[in-house]
Amino acid sequence: MITALLAAVLTGSLLAGHLPGYGVLVLSLFVAVGFRLMGHHHHDGVLSIDGLAHHSRLYQENAFLKTGGSVALLLCCLCSPSPWPPVCLFFFLAAATVLLGGIRLKDYVSLMGVPVVFLFLSVLTLLWDFAGSAPKDAILSVPLFGGFLIVEPASQVLAVQVLARALGAVGCLFFLSLSTPLPDILLVLRRIKVPVVVIDVALLMYRYIFLLLRTARERKQAAASRFGYGSWRKSLRTTGLVYAGLLAHSFRRVSACFDAMESRCYTGSVTFLTETRPITKKLIALIGVPLGGMLICLVLLW
Amino acid sequence: MTALEKKFVSFSVAVAVLFGVPQTVSAMHIMEGYLPPAYCVAWGAVCLPFLAVGIITMRRLVRQQRKTMLLLAMAGAFVFVISSLKIPSVTGSCSHMTGTGLGAILFGVPVTTILGVIVLLFQALLLAHGGLTTLGANTCSMAIAGPLLTWGLYQIGKKLRVPRLPLIFLASMLGDLFTYCVTSLQLALAYPSAQGGVGASMTEFLLVFAPTQLPLAVIEGLLTMLVIMGLETYAKTELHELREGRRGLFHDAE
Repeated sequence: MITALLAAVLTGSLLAGHLPGYGVLVLSLFVAVGFRLMGHHHHDGVLSIDGLAHHSRLYQENAFLKTGGSVALLLCCLCSPSPWPPVCLFFFLAAATVLLGGIRLKDYVSLMGVPVVFLFLSVLTLLWDFAGSAPKDAILSVPLFGGFLIVEPASQVLAVQVLARALGAVGCLFFLSLSTPLPDILLVLRRIKVPVVVIDVALLMYRYIFLLLRTARERKQAAASRFGYGSWRKSLRTTGLVYAGLLAHSFRRVSACFDAMESRCYTGSVTFLTETRPITKKLIALIGVPLGGMLICLVLLW
Repeated sequence: MTALEKKFVSFSVAVAVLFGVPQTVSAMHIMEGYLPPAYCVAWGAVCLPFLAVGIITMRRLVRQQRKTMLLLAMAGAFVFVISSLKIPSVTGSCSHMTGTGLGAILFGVPVTTILGVIVLLFQALLLAHGGLTTLGANTCSMAIAGPLLTWGLYQIGKKLRVPRLPLIFLASMLGDLFTYCVTSLQLALAYPSAQGGVGASMTEFLLVFAPTQLPLAVIEGLLTMLVIMGLETYAKTELHELREGRRGLFHDAE
């Protein structure tokens, strides 16, 4: 609901001055209805992205190329002086993720809901400016507390630019995270010489997250079945207790884990079986085509 | 303004505060692709010395006792898990803790910084909160500035013999608020307002995010206090072990 409202206000203030008044109104309403129908993301599966990445059809591709390519595309996207290349990149990568990766469109759209709220709020802040008096070229101006809230053409250009760049960048991020499970990315980081301690801790962390999430769920259910979340005060207290119990439980778990590892010849480093996957022509094309396109755009536009 | 206009404005502000609270409230991660390239690099560079100290500290800790690595990993996983779980909130929207204040009080700043970077990376890739290019800026505000303030206030308060629980509440709440101010500053520096410069645009960002971030900071403070209270009741041995470990570390560092 809020997202829809924000989207409508955003469309309205972006288009004001470019279209006649009723056109702006109709389009804003249209966008709001669209966002309302899309719904927002759910909290049932905290790690839904992880599950989707493991089931992606691009999972078997070479992780090094996927990570490197996505980061390169991300950088091109940020450096783009025009809003068009990032928007095209977003649609290309979204299509690749959905069609080639086999991610359902519904899941992709509901994941987009997470960054969108932040994006809308902060782009609106860029668009609307507060000034003592309304300048002549202001497109919209609303009197407020003795001053004016205004929208200027320059800020409209900036807002479109930021919106496009962020959209393209989110496309790159989702292309990576919805095709490559986190441990693969961490192993890529190890290969580019990120300190071993950090990667080891991160790899272990990834495994512990699932343990802790399950324990947290059990504890919450146990608390809920005893009316632990009855009132706001009670639920705050219960949450504190559940978290404290979780932390104490995890400390105890560490001791057991350590004993198990010691008895299996743990010498201070954690090694996992890794398989290097071949680089396929499909992936080269998938990364090469947009990268080439972005680079040509950058050269032409600068 | 006439009386009617004033009424209209205050009504609209009330509506804005009431409905302007987004459905999902987490601590303010700057999203992927929002900052221009120069700022991404600059904020990343600011983090480097802190990361270096963190890595050195962590290496030493792990070399001293091998079990520490598992403890650190578990602590990191804990911070990630509490930052991805719903907490009770005032407005009916769902919000999440940052957990970095708790980390700073329990494990100290250098370790929290490194755990914070890993958690932020995980959040970007697993939860789509934050991003890879904004990792530097987010680290600066959430894994460095917030924990530093929390830890500093906690230490000063301990010296001044402020009662422990209110101190933990205040330190973690102010740490959370500081994180939010630093993020607003980062946003304002990247996109200063045409009319009033960085100051005006920072005020705007602070105002826009205030309805979500102010209650969140209070809840974060309360929860941090409750968690530490719970730990003192149910996990005295582990807490003691942790403190001993840290004391050993500080002697070693001197």
